[in-house]
Amino acid sequence: MTQPSDDPGEQRAVRCSGEHGEAGASQTSTTPAHQWWEIEDILPERRTFVSSMASLWSKISAILPPNEEQFPLQFSDKVALSVVEMLKRARQQLYGDATSASSQILTAQIILDYSWERLNTGTWRHVDKEWRRVYSYGCLFKAAAICRGSPSEEEILQAIRTCDMGLLMGAAIMENILQVIVRILQREIRTLAKEEDAHENIEAKKRKIASPHVGLIKDELSVPRIKCPSLESFNANYLLPLKPVILEGIIDHWPALNQHPWSIEYLRSVAGCRTVPVEVGSRYTDEDWSQTLLTVNEFIDRYILNEVQDSESDHKAVGYLAQHQLFDQIPELKEDIRIPDYCCLGEDDEDDITVNAWFGPKGTVSPLHQDPQQNFLAQVVGNKYIRLYSPEDTEKLYPHQSQLLHNTSQVEVESPDAERFPEFVKAPYLECVLRPGDVLFIPVKYWHYVRSLEISFSVSFWWS
Amino acid sequence: MRWFGFGFNSFAQICVPDKSEKEESGNAVGQEKVCVPVDLVNHRGRSKIRASWSRRASLFLDEDSCVRLAGFCASISSNESFSPVTVNTSGCQDAAISETHLTLALPGRIESWDLQSKDKTPSWSMEMTQSQNSDVNLPLVPGGYISSKPPIFRSLSSHLQAKSLALGGEHAVLLTAAGAVYTWGQGSHGQLGHGGLISEEEPRTVEALWGMTMRSVAAGGWHSVCVGDGGDLYVWGWNESGQLGLPSRGLRKASQQKSDQQAGERCGSFSTCPDEELHEEVFISIQAFPALVDVSPSCEISTVSCGSRHTAAVTTTGYLYTWGWGEYGQLGHQTTSSLDEPQCVEFFRNENLHVVDVVCGSWNTFTAAVKKEVLGLENVPELPPVSTGSELWTTC
Repeated sequence: MTQPSDDPGEQRAVRCSGEHGEAGASQTSTTPAHQWWEIEDILPERRTFVSSMASLWSKISAILPPNEEQFPLQFSDKVALSVVEMLKRARQQLYGDATSASSQILTAQIILDYSWERLNTGTWRHVDKEWRRVYSYGCLFKAAAICRGSPSEEEILQAIRTCDMGLLMGAAIMENILQVIVRILQREIRTLAKEEDAHENIEAKKRKIASPHVGLIKDELSVPRIKCPSLESFNANYLLPLKPVILEGIIDHWPALNQHPWSIEYLRSVAGCRTVPVEVGSRYTDEDWSQTLLTVNEFIDRYILNEVQDSESDHKAVGYLAQHQLFDQIPELKEDIRIPDYCCLGEDDEDDITVNAWFGPKGTVSPLHQDPQQNFLAQVVGNKYIRLYSPEDTEKLYPHQSQLLHNTSQVEVESPDAERFPEFVKAPYLECVLRPGDVLFIPVKYWHYVRSLEISFSVSFWWS
Repeated sequence: MRWFGFGFNSFAQICVPDKSEKEESGNAVGQEKVCVPVDLVNHRGRSKIRASWSRRASLFLDEDSCVRLAGFCASISSNESFSPVTVNTSGCQDAAISETHLTLALPGRIESWDLQSKDKTPSWSMEMTQSQNSDVNLPLVPGGYISSKPPIFRSLSSHLQAKSLALGGEHAVLLTAAGAVYTWGQGSHGQLGHGGLISEEEPRTVEALWGMTMRSVAAGGWHSVCVGDGGDLYVWGWNESGQLGLPSRGLRKASQQKSDQQAGERCGSFSTCPDEELHEEVFISIQAFPALVDVSPSCEISTVSCGSRHTAAVTTTGYLYTWGWGEYGQLGHQTTSSLDEPQCVEFFRNENLHVVDVVCGSWNTFTAAVKKEVLGLENVPELPPVSTGSELWTTC
C-alpha cells in the first residue's frame, strides 16, 4: 500500500490559474540597522533591492515598468478608442508629477466605472476578457495613486481593497502585478500594525465545543471510511464504480493541519484585510439570499464570532464564505494545502482543477445538489454533517425545473415536506460527520447536502 | 432656446476646461465633473443634442442643418468640429450617436459613420424615397432600426407600427402608433418589464401596461421608462443607483457610511441602529414589472430621458427632475451624490428658466430651456417643497 508522499519535492503545489512565475519576497540578509528585502520583480532583469525603510511609493515604483514607453497598453478593438485614451491619460499621469493624487484617482475611477458597466453587461461567462483587463488596469492606477505620497494605514487598506477588486473581478495583467502590489501593501500593514491579543479567548472557546452528533450516524447508513488507500485500490473500488468514501490520513501532511493550523488568529494575520465574497442568507435557494463583499476581518467579526458569542439570536443572518477560489487570491494560504494525489487518476491537467474554500460559522447549509465534476471535500477545521444520494434516485429528489436551479433539489433534507415530496423518504442515502483530517470523495453527479455543526473550514477540489 | 449641460466632461464634451484654472490648482477634478449646469453658448435657435459616453452631437437646424461633434477626437481649438473625416452633414434632420458610430438622417438617405476609422465612406447607408423621409425617427428607419453594434441595420416587422424606439445598454423599448410598449434584448436585470429575468430575442408586449396609452419611451443602461398619456411615469429594471426612483439599499448604506464618518455630526433622519432601519424599509434592487413613480405631486411629465444609470424628466410646468447615479454631477444638484427619489433641479428655477427638453448622455445630461419672460410666465407661483405635502397649484 503506497502512501501519498510528503516529500516536498514530490508535492504538487496548487498554482495560480493562468499565470506562472509567482513573485515573492524573501529576506536575504539581516543587518543591525535595517533589513533588506529582495523584491522579485515581474521582469526578472529588474530584480531590485529596496530597503525596508524606503517609502512605500519607492517599493511600488520598483515593480512598475521603468517608464511610460515600457508600460504596455494593448487591447483588442472591442475596447473603444475613447477608453484607450483614458487609459493612456492615466499612464501619463502615473509617470509624470504634474497631477495631484486626487486627479489621478479620478482618472482611474473613470476607467473603473466604465469597465464595471461593461462587466455587468451580458452574462458573466460571456463578458469579454478585455473588459476584465481594463478593469484591472483601473485598479492598478487607482492603487498606485493612493500609494503616492505617504498614505495612512486606512489608505493602504483602501489600496488593498482596490487590488482585491481587480483580482476578484478583473483578469491578470502585467504578469499578475496586482498580486505583487498586494503583497507589498500587506507587508506594510503588518509593519504598521500593533500587536493584538484579543483572540486567544476565541481559541479557547473553540476548543470547548465538543464534537456533536457523532453518535447519531447509523452504521448501515454511514459513508465507508478507508485509511490511505493505494491509487489502484481507490480507482478500482470507488472512482470507477462511482462510490462515495471518506479517505482518512491523506491530508495529515498539510501545513494547514500542522505547522500553520488554520485558527481564526492565523487567518486574520494572513488574510485579515483581504476582500472576499460572502453569501448572506440561510441557503442559496432562499429569496433573501444575497452576496456581498467583506474583508476577512469583517466576515469573521460579523458572521463567525457573532455566532459564537450569540447563538440564541436566530434572526441574525448566516454568512458563508462559500465556493470562492481563495487560494488563487491569497497565495500564502495555497501553501498550506496540497492537491490530493488521487486527482492524477483523472484526465484534467492540474491547472484545470478548481479549488474552493468554504469557511463559515455553525449552521451554514448547502441545499441538496449535484455537481458536474468529481469532488474531494477536505475538512480542515470543525465538523460538517453530510448526506449523500445516488444519481440513480434523482426522481425521488424533485430537482427544480428552472434552468438556473435544475441541479438543486426542492426538498428540505432535514425537514422534508412529505405532502409535496412523498417519494423523498423512500430514497436511500448515506451520511457522515466529516471531521478535520477527513476527505470525502463525492462522485460526479452524486447529490450532496451539507450542514456545518460548528465553525468550519473545508477545501473542495473539483476535477474530472 | 438655450441648452445647458452638466455631468461627465473628461472629454470636453460639455465645455472646454478653462486652461488657466487647470494650471493653477493642478487639479482638474472640477472640470471633469460639471456639477453646476453650464450654458452651451453656441446653441441658440433650434437645435438638437445627442450624446454618448465621450461625445456630444449637436444638430443645428437653423443653420444649414449641420451636425457638429464635441468631445473625444473633436479638435480642441475650435471646440466643435467633425473629426477625423469631413462629412457633409448639411440638411441633416436627425442624428444618433453611440461610442463607435454616428448615424445621420439626411434628405433621401441614412448614413452610419464609424467614428473610429478614417474611412471616407459611411460603414452603412440606405436610400429613401420622398415618402419614407417622414418614417425616420432615429434609431427607427424604414423597415427597421439602426443599432450601435453590428449588425447595424436590424429589421422590424411592419405590423408593430413602430412610432419611436429607445435603445438601452442591451435592450430595446419600442412605442407603437397605438401607444403600446414592446421590449426585447437582455432581461437579466428586469429591464424588459415582463416580470422575470429572461431575455427575449423578439419584441414582446409589456402586458402590465396593456390598456394604457403611452406617449414616449426611454431606456438607460439597465432600466426602462415610459410616460403615459396623462403624464404618468412608469419605470422598471435595475435600481442599483436609485435610477428607478424607488428605495435603493445600496444608496442608503452608502449615505449611512458617509454620515457615520462625519464624526460628531448628528443626522436627524438616521436612527442610531442603522441595520435595523434598513431591515424595516422595503428596498428594490430589481423591478421586473412596470411601477408607477410619483415624480412631482400633481404634475404631468412631458419628456423623459435616461443615462446609463440615471433618469431625467421634464414636467409640463417646465421643471426638471433627476434621480439615480450622481457620481459625475449628472443630476445637476451641484453635488456628486446619487438619489433614489426624484428631485427638482433648482438651478433652472433660480435662473427663471422654463425647461422644455432633456437628453441624457451615458454620464451627463443636456437640458433645453427658455427664459420664463419669453413665455409670459413671469408670474408662475413658486413650486412648494415636496416634503410639505401641500397641494400644488399649477398652470398646466
